[in-house]
Amino acid sequence: MIELQWLIPLLPFLAALLVHLLGGRMGKRVARLSVGINLLVVVVAAFQLTAYIAGDTGPQWMGLANGWGSLQLDPLSAIMALVVSGISLVVHIYSVRYMIEEPGYGRFFMLLDVMTGSILLMVMAGDLITLLIAWHLIGVVLYFLLAHNTEPPTAQRYAFWTFITYRLGDLPLVLAAVILFQAYGVLDFPTLFERIAEMPDVRTFMDLPVTGTVAFLVALSAFAKSAQFPLHTWLPYTMEGPTPVSALMHAGIVNAGGIIINRFAPVFVHSGEILHLLFVVGLVTALIGSVLMLTQNDIKKSLGYSTMGQMGFMIMETGAGAFALAIFHLIAHGLFKGTMFLGAGNVIGAARKHDGVPNDPLYDFLVERKSAPARLPWLIIGAVTLIVPLVILVMAHAWVAEDFFQKQGAIVLLFFGWITGVQVLFATHRLDSENPVRMMALIILSFALIVVGYSFVGHSFETFLYPDEVFRNALYHAAGIDAVTFDMLVILLALIVVLGWMGAYLTNVRRQRIDEGHGNARLTLYSLFSREFYVADVYDRMTVTLLDFSKRLNVWLKWS
Amino acid sequence: MSGLLIILAAFFLPLFPASLVFNRLAAGTTNPFARLALFIVWPQIGVALILWGDLAPAGTVLATWATLSAIFYAFRMLTVREVGRWAAMLASSAWPLVWLFVMQGPTAADLIAFTLAMTVAPVLMLLVRDALARRLEAAYTGLHGGLARDLPRLSGVIAVVTLAAMALPLFPGFFALLSVLSGATLGVALGILVTWLLWSWAGARLLQGTIFGPRSGPIADDLPRSTTWLVAGLVVMMVAAGLIWTGGAV
Repeated sequence: MIELQWLIPLLPFLAALLVHLLGGRMGKRVARLSVGINLLVVVVAAFQLTAYIAGDTGPQWMGLANGWGSLQLDPLSAIMALVVSGISLVVHIYSVRYMIEEPGYGRFFMLLDVMTGSILLMVMAGDLITLLIAWHLIGVVLYFLLAHNTEPPTAQRYAFWTFITYRLGDLPLVLAAVILFQAYGVLDFPTLFERIAEMPDVRTFMDLPVTGTVAFLVALSAFAKSAQFPLHTWLPYTMEGPTPVSALMHAGIVNAGGIIINRFAPVFVHSGEILHLLFVVGLVTALIGSVLMLTQNDIKKSLGYSTMGQMGFMIMETGAGAFALAIFHLIAHGLFKGTMFLGAGNVIGAARKHDGVPNDPLYDFLVERKSAPARLPWLIIGAVTLIVPLVILVMAHAWVAEDFFQKQGAIVLLFFGWITGVQVLFATHRLDSENPVRMMALIILSFALIVVGYSFVGHSFETFLYPDEVFRNALYHAAGIDAVTFDMLVILLALIVVLGWMGAYLTNVRRQRIDEGHGNARLTLYSLFSREFYVADVYDRMTVTLLDFSKRLNVWLKWS
Repeated sequence: MSGLLIILAAFFLPLFPASLVFNRLAAGTTNPFARLALFIVWPQIGVALILWGDLAPAGTVLATWATLSAIFYAFRMLTVREVGRWAAMLASSAWPLVWLFVMQGPTAADLIAFTLAMTVAPVLMLLVRDALARRLEAAYTGLHGGLARDLPRLSGVIAVVTLAAMALPLFPGFFALLSVLSGATLGVALGILVTWLLWSWAGARLLQGTIFGPRSGPIADDLPRSTTWLVAGLVVMMVAAGLIWTGGAV
């Protein structure tokens, strides 16, 4: 079965080679060849996943030589291979017509195939060097894909931002691999992780613990690849690239951070402090990404910041010890974000015909002869909004795992689930409806179905990815903090959130203008949001200064 | 004696300021074949001196000096626009890493192979320089951009050679860097990684100044198909040699 695994990354590389060699002879039909081979990849990946689940053989590993050049078949690689190849196939099919009038049609499909092969190699790599090769290739190929239209300077500029951020993310992983090799003397993952489990306290440079140092470096790598603050600036600006590339990037490539953290889970389980760092960075990224998403007036850029926020949540989940949930999240996010990108053109087209701005209620009442919208009493809706989501979430989680209250990570995720539920019900309350009770009841029913489904699927998924219960609990335990501090933080966060909701509600009721009251503070905040916290400006200034210094050195040394 | 030999070798495996000699010599050599020979032979003289003198250089000072030399020239590459000088600075940044490799006590064959791996990209870049100069009168980045539109084959070659200059997989430079990193101390490892990052930055700037952007400059013929295949064959051969050298194990 493991022999078949080689076909999954090799077939896309073969497709790229064939597209390049036959491009001149076949013309535009070469795209169909690429699609056909990618369809085959999906079939093989689906077969491998099914066979793995049915076979009960456990993880397998196979290398070409005694050192590097190996693949593995385990739950993470099997599921991700199917997801990546599936999304890539959809993007391929979409591109056949979408890119037909673009110059470099064959080149585009060749690069798309190399990218698919590289991501698949990354998720299935069985040793450090193979992983590094795939990790490096992803950034390089993405650069050429984003710069596919070779002429617009903005496309080149933002492709470069992406490339250099990815290179920044490549190098910590190299150092992590070097430290692991120096400490444990092996390259292949199965042996490496066995030795880490046997000797987790080995020290490295400056007497630092190997596991903590490697976890920190892997986290840095993941931050760059998954657009975590402050390494996020490339993500919202890469919309100059072709739409299929945006779809592939947001649905697949940007998830690399979550995948690499899961791959190194046996290292992170010994590095509680780094899990806390992941949680904080993820939380900050989620907040900033969501805030910036709301202030954009460009649909694709808004989607870009939305992805940044989602990546923040994904990293935060790993920081809470919910490694499998992060994978579940990235798959779900990849599917819906890919759909949104591929549908963005239709949305823009529809907006040109109808602006989507709702009519004034008075207009509806007088002209359209519709009855005036009704609202439920705010006290009732306030109580329902706060209590119902919590009850649903607690019951659903208690159903799949009775001891979930013992895990801080689960409580954190429950907390965020509660906030999301409240937001949904609050938004429903604000919608104009002739029958608000029916609408609220339907929304609560939908929410309950989603939560129950999500909890059940999420729990089954966790058991599939990490079958060893002891290891699962160890991850949650490593992510935990002191109980009193944890409780205080939860209460503090809950207060902040509730106060925020009250502020939003009162602002809405009073219809207060944005520049009244704390006008200056709000406008300052808004200008910060609109300049995206000046992060890109700071990088720009640093770049100019460094280039100027380099030029001065060259002039001083007469270019020798 | 060994101290003198090390100082002499520092001219051939150039450490700043001894590296100024090589860069002046490279800039002054106008014959393309002579320049190619210079790039191939120059570092091997340094290797020959080390092997002949059975030198086993060690110590923090030399390691720091070599690392800083590599970073210094990589940093200066960022603003070099003449492709020939760019290649010379790449060599001046890559060859000091040979000293770091020597400190790990390699065999003679490994040392020669490592030096060749570090020489591949600068030599290929010289070929690019000549191809550009022959078609566009000068091989300056940022002067005649947008070559991808009219000269796809030459642009492809430039892209591949630049990737080799950035020491990306599967080019020999990638495996050579992994080899030297596998035995490096923290400071040296960080220095090598900074150098690697600067190569990538400089390479991306070179690509943006040549193949990307709006087309400008004189009309020129693309690289002949046969030459493109020749260069492709050369690159494949070098990649294969690099893979055989690493032997599937670092």
